[in-house]
Amino acid sequence: MKVFTAICLILCLTVACSKEPAITEDMLDGGTLFDPSLYQPEKYLVSRAIPTPTPAQANTPVIIACHGYTATTFEWDEFRTWLGNRTDVYLSQVLLGGHGRTYEEFKKSTWRDWQEAITAEYERLEKAGYKNISLLGSSTSGPLLLELVSSGYFTRHLPPRNFILVDPIVIPSDKTLSLVPLLGPMLGYIDTKQSAQEDKVYYHFRPQETLQQLQKLLTLVRRDLEKGISLPAGSRLTVYKAKQDPAADPISAVLIYKGVKLSTGGPPDVQLIDSDRHVFTRLQFVEGVTEKDYKTQKDTFAAILAQALAP
Amino acid sequence: MFIDHLFIHHLRSNSLSGPLPYILQSLHQRTGLFMAVLVGLFTSTAWAQEKSAQGAVLDAGIRLQKSIGLYYENGLTLQYTNPRLAGQRLYVGVSYVTSRLGSAFRSNAIKQDNYLVSGTYMFRPQRHIRPLVRFNVGYFSADLGSDLFNSLPHSGLLASPEFGLCYSPRSPLKLTGSLGYNLTAGNGMSGPGTLYPVFVQTSLLWNILKK
Repeated sequence: MKVFTAICLILCLTVACSKEPAITEDMLDGGTLFDPSLYQPEKYLVSRAIPTPTPAQANTPVIIACHGYTATTFEWDEFRTWLGNRTDVYLSQVLLGGHGRTYEEFKKSTWRDWQEAITAEYERLEKAGYKNISLLGSSTSGPLLLELVSSGYFTRHLPPRNFILVDPIVIPSDKTLSLVPLLGPMLGYIDTKQSAQEDKVYYHFRPQETLQQLQKLLTLVRRDLEKGISLPAGSRLTVYKAKQDPAADPISAVLIYKGVKLSTGGPPDVQLIDSDRHVFTRLQFVEGVTEKDYKTQKDTFAAILAQALAP
Repeated sequence: MFIDHLFIHHLRSNSLSGPLPYILQSLHQRTGLFMAVLVGLFTSTAWAQEKSAQGAVLDAGIRLQKSIGLYYENGLTLQYTNPRLAGQRLYVGVSYVTSRLGSAFRSNAIKQDNYLVSGTYMFRPQRHIRPLVRFNVGYFSADLGSDLFNSLPHSGLLASPEFGLCYSPRSPLKLTGSLGYNLTAGNGMSGPGTLYPVFVQTSLLWNILKK
């Protein structure tokens, strides 16, 4: 009887682990659609568009915008559109490692791969001579940026002028993420409910391996925040957090407020936004968007720009 | 006094309004006193001798709790039974666990308190190893540390089943371990964000009526 039970258990686990998602060619996951920054990096990355800046260009503020888990550069497209043809600020839209490619590439990526795309662009800009860089991160890019600070990355590099986080995640809204190390291998992947339009710019399926990576990152950053993270001298941190959020629990903002100190010893600027959307600055392809949502988006874009331009 | 201080501190920081929260606040304020009175009453010598003779059991001890994926929360626990409570199979108890004595001790973790009233059914009460099922109800509150966050949920009711084992190698000593599930965990849209669903707990208990 014991042998029979063991065989059944092994079979169940094998079947569960071998489950492959039903990916179609209309999905980003499918290997036919890719993030456009992979084809035309010069349209998305300042380091590619202006690799040898003039002194005036090198002093122009650059915002490096980084997206969240499963997203692509699309997440900050509306910000680029809103900026229009301004020449007093540059925008780099970074595609995180493992993202915007294929399900298989995403599946084998780690959070350090995701982060590496940010540091690669940062170091290219630094090497080219850009002096005024701000880092803008939504959702999972929040902990990716905080980890860079806590690991001492900016003691070896030019400190950014601003860290600006929109709906950063430290505590997930779906608390079952904490069970992924245990249950993930049995699940294989998670199917998300998103529109066909979103399927083209966000991965539809979430491999359990990447959920484990996300959980590792969040645990690491939460513990760093518990110990205390000090920003580099001259850097500011602003957090915009929706009061209700189905993906990143709003308590994440509290943990950042309590855990991060400016070099002067003060707390970061945290603003709670009256919204129930995750990454409320991205409204394209979102259902039921109201005038209030658009106003909140525009107000936040204006605030981000003002911070990037501030001396 | 320490516990009373915590209650008063919470009362000041709580922004709830309405009749139910008022009752909860009152309960919250009085729980420390309630536990102190309970310990004093149960341990008064005459009462203890009488109850011990009647076969009553009053286990007092420490409860160490860990939410899977979040904080360590530790504290005190009491449970009581006597032969009339399903032949010493049914225990009623109270517990207080807090991150102040766990993850939030000398750290930036959120200070949060759990006040629990529980009913436990212990199978095979005469054996060394006893399976147990428990159901807790209670009140949760978190100190978010700034008025800036008053609009975020930071308190709520608790309800959690637990399943586990009790090991009693010799009479006054018990060691219990169990897996619990918070039915009222936060989900980003409502409920406290640091109230996680799955937790494990270990309690080390001593029957203080045993002579």
